[in-house]
Amino acid sequence: MRFPQAQVALLEAASATDAKPIEQLAEETDLKPETVTRAAFDLRDEGLVAVDERVEESATLTDEGETYREAGLPEVRLFRAARDAGGTVGMGEAIGASGLEGPEVDIALANYARKGYGVVDGGEVSADADADPDADEEAAALDALAAGEVVEDAGLLDRLESRGLVDVDETTVRSVTLTDAGVTALMEGVEAAETVDRLTPELLTSGEWEDVEFTEYNVEADAPAVEGGREHVLRGAAERVKDVLVGMGFQEMDGPHADADFWINDCLFMPQDHPARTHWDRFALDVPPVRDLPEGLVDRVEHAHREGVGEDGDGYHSPWSEDFARAIALCGHTTSLSMRYLSGYADADLEPPQRYFSVQKAYRNDTLDATHLLEFYQIEGWVMAEDLSVRDLMGTFEEFYRQFGIEEIRFKPHYNPYTEPSFELFGEHPETGEEIEIGNSGMFRDEVLEPLGIDCDVMAWGLALERLAMLTTGAEDIRDLHGTLADLEFLRNAEVTY
Amino acid sequence: MPVVDIDTDELRGLTGEDKTDEEFKQDLFALGLEYEGDTEDGLLQFEFGPDRLDRLSVEGVARSLRYQYGADRGVYVPETNDADWTIEVDPSVPDERPYVTGAVVRGVNLDESGLDSLIQLQEKLHATMGRGRAKGAIGVHDLTMLKGQALTEESEPSGTINAASSDLGATEKTVTYRGVDPEGDRFVPLDANTDMTPAQVLTDHPTGDTYAELVEDLDRYPAIYDELGLFSFPPVINGSRTEVDAGSRDLFIELTGTDQWTIDKMCVILCYALSARGGTVEEVQVDYADGATYPDEYGPELLRPDFDTDEKSVTHDRIETMLGVEVERDEVVDLFERSGMDAAYSLGEEETVYDVTVPPYRVDVLHPLDLVDDVGRAYGFNELEPSYPDIGTIGGRHERSRLERAVRTSLVGLGFEDMLNFHMTSGAENYDRMRLDERDPGADLSEAPLGAEPAAVITSPYSEDYTQLRTWALPSLVQVLENNTHRTYPQDLAEVGFVAHRDDDVNTRVAEDYRVAGVLARTDATYEDAKARVQAVCDDFDADVETPATTHPSFLDGRVAAVVVDGESVGVVGELHPAVLVERDMEVPVAAFEFSLSALE
Repeated sequence: MRFPQAQVALLEAASATDAKPIEQLAEETDLKPETVTRAAFDLRDEGLVAVDERVEESATLTDEGETYREAGLPEVRLFRAARDAGGTVGMGEAIGASGLEGPEVDIALANYARKGYGVVDGGEVSADADADPDADEEAAALDALAAGEVVEDAGLLDRLESRGLVDVDETTVRSVTLTDAGVTALMEGVEAAETVDRLTPELLTSGEWEDVEFTEYNVEADAPAVEGGREHVLRGAAERVKDVLVGMGFQEMDGPHADADFWINDCLFMPQDHPARTHWDRFALDVPPVRDLPEGLVDRVEHAHREGVGEDGDGYHSPWSEDFARAIALCGHTTSLSMRYLSGYADADLEPPQRYFSVQKAYRNDTLDATHLLEFYQIEGWVMAEDLSVRDLMGTFEEFYRQFGIEEIRFKPHYNPYTEPSFELFGEHPETGEEIEIGNSGMFRDEVLEPLGIDCDVMAWGLALERLAMLTTGAEDIRDLHGTLADLEFLRNAEVTY
Repeated sequence: MPVVDIDTDELRGLTGEDKTDEEFKQDLFALGLEYEGDTEDGLLQFEFGPDRLDRLSVEGVARSLRYQYGADRGVYVPETNDADWTIEVDPSVPDERPYVTGAVVRGVNLDESGLDSLIQLQEKLHATMGRGRAKGAIGVHDLTMLKGQALTEESEPSGTINAASSDLGATEKTVTYRGVDPEGDRFVPLDANTDMTPAQVLTDHPTGDTYAELVEDLDRYPAIYDELGLFSFPPVINGSRTEVDAGSRDLFIELTGTDQWTIDKMCVILCYALSARGGTVEEVQVDYADGATYPDEYGPELLRPDFDTDEKSVTHDRIETMLGVEVERDEVVDLFERSGMDAAYSLGEEETVYDVTVPPYRVDVLHPLDLVDDVGRAYGFNELEPSYPDIGTIGGRHERSRLERAVRTSLVGLGFEDMLNFHMTSGAENYDRMRLDERDPGADLSEAPLGAEPAAVITSPYSEDYTQLRTWALPSLVQVLENNTHRTYPQDLAEVGFVAHRDDDVNTRVAEDYRVAGVLARTDATYEDAKARVQAVCDDFDADVETPATTHPSFLDGRVAAVVVDGESVGVVGELHPAVLVERDMEVPVAAFEFSLSALE
């Protein structure tokens, strides 16, 4: 019969009459004890050996036990001090003479009378003349354990363990005996199957793999860490948003990050003296003004600002200059892309119905902290159709947020210069249950649409991708998610979302 | 967004409703005012969109609530008494701040909380419509401390009597808005013990210091005089003589600014608030003298405050289409009245049109669709049932975004960790620390190393760390390496990302590009490792790549090549220069590459 190497060695070393402990067998076979144990259990399962298990207690001295073994037990030292001082002596004097310190004093007093060394009473220690400290069985047991001998008295061991002087450990001792079947197998002859560590190309091509035994690995052991490449967690969130929007029938927009204020603000009916257009909020670029703007559109936009749109329309009572409209800045929102597309400037003129979106950078001159970045990804989307209602807007956004686990949106009437009606969207945080702002939306105003040449309805909304990502990943500091301050450890450990 | 501080006891008084703070919070959320927290004095703070500026005081908020509760309906316009006072505008008024308006309010019950509310409204109007006092600034004075000279020939500046002004007739009393030499006159400003010239106020008074930039470049400063002299130095500070206190009952209000409509509307909002405190509004006559700049749309003679209502019409169809529900016509009228407007409709042959009267404090109503919004708010937008629009469109991604994703997938497959860095950076990071010299705008870039293009610079940036757009992506990746030297190596990082530089030949003057960049930081990183990965990515996209030797200050000479794809030089690959690494306390070599994403199209 063929057995793995270790099992063959074990069979040959084991005896039918003499139960041999694993340690002894390991020594005889020159194998590791755990290898022998595993071989023994495998052979037992085949009925070739019997394994006898016995629990053995072994006691070892603790550090405290070792200290008392060398210096003497505290009660014994107290007794000797009292006896040497004449038999009955004041407490202070006895302790002074014994050299006991700190907790040793209490230990000595607690064990003194129990072990019959005498009486402690009224501040005096008396030594019993009959007591013999050299016959102290606890001290003797400590010496015996230190010498590697066995202490049989279970009660004595218990006392020493409860005094914290010894540790008692239980170990299972296994011994192996050959069964009759094992003896028979040996008589019939056993040989070792060859074991191999790695499967090699030679083994595969030669067909040798059929005859070899593969060494068993410890499959539970830790493997070395591998850092694979992975998509950035925020990028993953952006991809997810794009997938959802494409699934809802939205086309992606693309356009410049640095653009004329005309596209960023004027087309959106933002008055030129609006606080968001001051130096403090926007990143103006130190470059010459834009070369070309669509001429007719500039006039129509200026007219909307000055005079309003429609018979009953009023304009703003704010200054308007084309120079300001031509100045270049980093986009404070990606709605500039929507303006480029809706006007037909980015691509062809659009006929309803249309759905468009973008997930692109917006730049705000803000203070950098745990929830604010100077640049962030804005999700922007709009739907163009004849006769859209506020209910369509609500239905579209409910559907979008539901994809991210946010149900039950509340619409708070809001004000934007470019939309009317406008709504801030509030939803419940999926983890904390707190009501938080999750977006801003509305129907584009006539003053925005008419200059662009659109005569149907357009509803739009926007929100920061980072906000959505913080909601879905639980990240608490936005700076971990985005930018050169990124911590690789955070990115490597971030959970993949899908 | 504006924040208004509300004393709920005052709100109870002004609305006549005995509600709890919690109930008020709910009702105000429905109006679009969101509870933000409490002030140190125990007032409740509410934030709201900057459209309803008439709600910048407890009086205005109470008025909105009374409409919401149905306690008030329709348009309300306070009664006014005839003018007793005139504001004369002298041609010496600085051209930069030509306009003035005003009102008198008598018999106000101010007390302490009323005074606080008035001060709050004034400050918040300054911050919003007033654009930080530049466009409009308010001065409120105790009327009893003013002395107006009688309008006689002798006392008037020459040339003010003309045909136009005599139409309105003369009032009993007059103050004059005029320009004053910065060192021309002295007065005691609020919160001061001594008299000063206007110029001294700008330098020696804390409020003057705050608002100095609004007037300091003018030859003459704006000032308002009564018979006793200068009592207001708009838009900076009032004189202490006419200071209003909790006991003041008769008030003189003046506003100056750069736009007549804006200051008139600010004045209207103030008058409505004071009227709610029991004040009687009295008109003030504004006379722009010959030679003074007057508002074209109103002429040189004004009676203020201008409580004229506005008329706008909106069709029934537009309301129903926008809300997506059918509404009875009478219900629409009811909703208008509950919004503080009046509406009447006529059943036309084709469509019903509502003629709507809008009260003068509604500065936000520019267009009929603003009326639809009011109807919707009164109806309750959250009462509407969401419905998914039945519109068929085809979704799809932009070509560049598909390419970016495909390249990113290739890079991740090669073991790179995908990075996402800021597009803004500083000259130090973009050029200096990479050993690059920035080229001048307009310079010939054909021989310039990648990254040396001129920067698109941010005008007066806040932070010295973010002063320009990055011209290339590698510095960002090297910064991430620098910040993560305590983390496990190897660190193989890549980014497909945006870069930009100034280029006056481009329409927006900024040339924008997308780049594929990678760094391999490990103890045994070599040129070969970087080139192998460039090859692998290019191969994925069927692009022929060659790497002729080149030089680049960020890289080690002899170990750097141009990335040439299909015959065109699109980037650089090599081992980063030891000086770049050592300066960042990095102790492993870094092989790196960067090339244009468009090369893989």
